[in-house]
Amino acid sequence: MLNSILMLASGGSHHELPMYATEFQFGPLVVTNSMIVSWVVALGLIIFVQWAMRNASLVPKGSQNFLELVVESLLTLLEGVMGRGLAHKTFWFFASVFIFIVSANWFGLVPGVGTIGMGAGESWFSVDVVKPFFRGVNADVNMTLAMALTFFGMWIIWALQSNGVGGCIRHIFGSKADNKGVLGLLMAAIFIFVGVIEVVSIAFRPVSLSCRLFGNIYGGEYMLESMMAINEKLSWLIPLPFYFFELLVGLVQALVFCLLTAIFTSTMCAHDESGGKSHH
Amino acid sequence: MATKNMIHLISLIATAGGPEAENIAVEVAHRMGVNGPKLGSQILLFLVVAFVLNKYAFGPIQAILAERQKRIEEGLDNAEKIKRELAETDRLKKEILTKANEQAEKMIEEAKKSASAMSEKRILEAVAQAEALIKKAQEATEIERGRMMMELKAEVGRLVVETTAKVVGKVLTSDDQKRLREEAIKQMAA
Repeated sequence: MLNSILMLASGGSHHELPMYATEFQFGPLVVTNSMIVSWVVALGLIIFVQWAMRNASLVPKGSQNFLELVVESLLTLLEGVMGRGLAHKTFWFFASVFIFIVSANWFGLVPGVGTIGMGAGESWFSVDVVKPFFRGVNADVNMTLAMALTFFGMWIIWALQSNGVGGCIRHIFGSKADNKGVLGLLMAAIFIFVGVIEVVSIAFRPVSLSCRLFGNIYGGEYMLESMMAINEKLSWLIPLPFYFFELLVGLVQALVFCLLTAIFTSTMCAHDESGGKSHH
Repeated sequence: MATKNMIHLISLIATAGGPEAENIAVEVAHRMGVNGPKLGSQILLFLVVAFVLNKYAFGPIQAILAERQKRIEEGLDNAEKIKRELAETDRLKKEILTKANEQAEKMIEEAKKSASAMSEKRILEAVAQAEALIKKAQEATEIERGRMMMELKAEVGRLVVETTAKVVGKVLTSDDQKRLREEAIKQMAA
C-alpha cells in the first residue's frame, strides 16, 4: 500500500505539473521556483505599500485611497467576525495573510508563470518547459504550510494571552452545561471527550488549512495546463475562461484562509469582549 | 487525474493506521516537497511581509482611519453645536425683532400722540396768538380812531369857530369859541 500511495503522491506522467516546486541550485543555495515568485510578490507588496504611503494624508489620493479601501474593508469584515478589540489586536496577521495570498494567487496567473523555464537538456527558454522558473506561490505546500504554522503559533499565543493556561484547558475540556449531580458528571465526561476531539481538530488545523489552499491553487494550475495541452494552436485561447475562474478562486481562497483562521481565533479568544461567554 | 490521485491518496492515508500512517504522512510530505529549510524560509518571508505591511500600511492607515473618524465625529458635533447656536441665534433674532417691532410701534404710537398733542397745542397757541393780534389790532385801531376823533373834533371845532366867525363877521370870544367847539363835538358825537 505504501508504494501505491507514494506513486500517487508523486503525480502521474512526467508531463503533468508536479506537486512539488522545482529546485534551482545557486552554489550552496537551493531555491525553488515558488520561492522566487514568493520573493517577487513580497517585494512587490513592500514596494507598493511604501510608495502608496509615502505622502500619507488624512485626505487620501490614488494608491493610498486604494490601500485604505482594502484595509478598511478587511478591518470591518474582521470586526464583524471577531469583535473590535480582538480584530484590532490580530489585524496585522489576518490582513497580511489575505493580502499576501490574494497577491500570490493572482501573480500566479500572470502569463509566463509556469510556462517560461528550462527545457529538456537544461536548455533555456525552451517551448517544452521541464523546469519552469516561476510557480504559483500557493501551489507549493511549503508556503501554505508556512502560513498555517505561523497562524498556529500565533493562535496559541493569543489563546494563552486571552485565557491563560487554565482558561484554555477549561475552554476546551470544561463542561458548558449547568447540570448538577449525576447528570452533571455525565455531561462533564462528555465534554472531556468532546475536548479530546477538539484537541485533535485543533492539531489538524495547520494541515487542513495548508492542504485546502494548496489543493485549490495547485488544482487550478493543473487545470490551466491541461486546457493548454488540449490543442497546441489554441493553447492561448482555451484556458482563457478558466483564467477568470481562477481569478475568482484566488480571491475566494484568500478569503477562506483569512476567515477560517479568524474564526478559529475568535472561538478561542473573542469571549474576552462578551463577558466571558464561550462561543463554542 | 491529479484530483483523482489526491482523493485516492487521502482515502488510503485515512484507512492506514498506526506507524504505517505516520510513515505514509512523512513520505507524502517529502514527495510533495515539504522540507524544513524551505518551510523555515517561507515562514520568515511571510513574517517579514507581515511586519512591513503592519509597519508601513496597517499601522499608519489604522491611525489615519482613527484620526479621520475622530475628526468626522468632531465635525458632526461642531455641526450640531453650530445648528443649535444658529437656532438659538435665530430665536434671539426673532425675539429682538419682535421687541424692536413692539418698541417701534409703541414709539410710533407715542409720536403720533405727541404729534397730535403738539398740533393741538400749536393750533391753540396760533389761535391765541391770532386772537391776541386781533385784539392788539383792535386796540390800536381804537386808539387810532380815538386819536383821529380827537383830531377830527379839534379840527371840526376849529372849522366851526372859523366858519362861524366868518359868517357872523365878528371876532368871537374865547368863551364863544369854546362853546361852539363843544356844541360841534356834541353834534358829531350824536
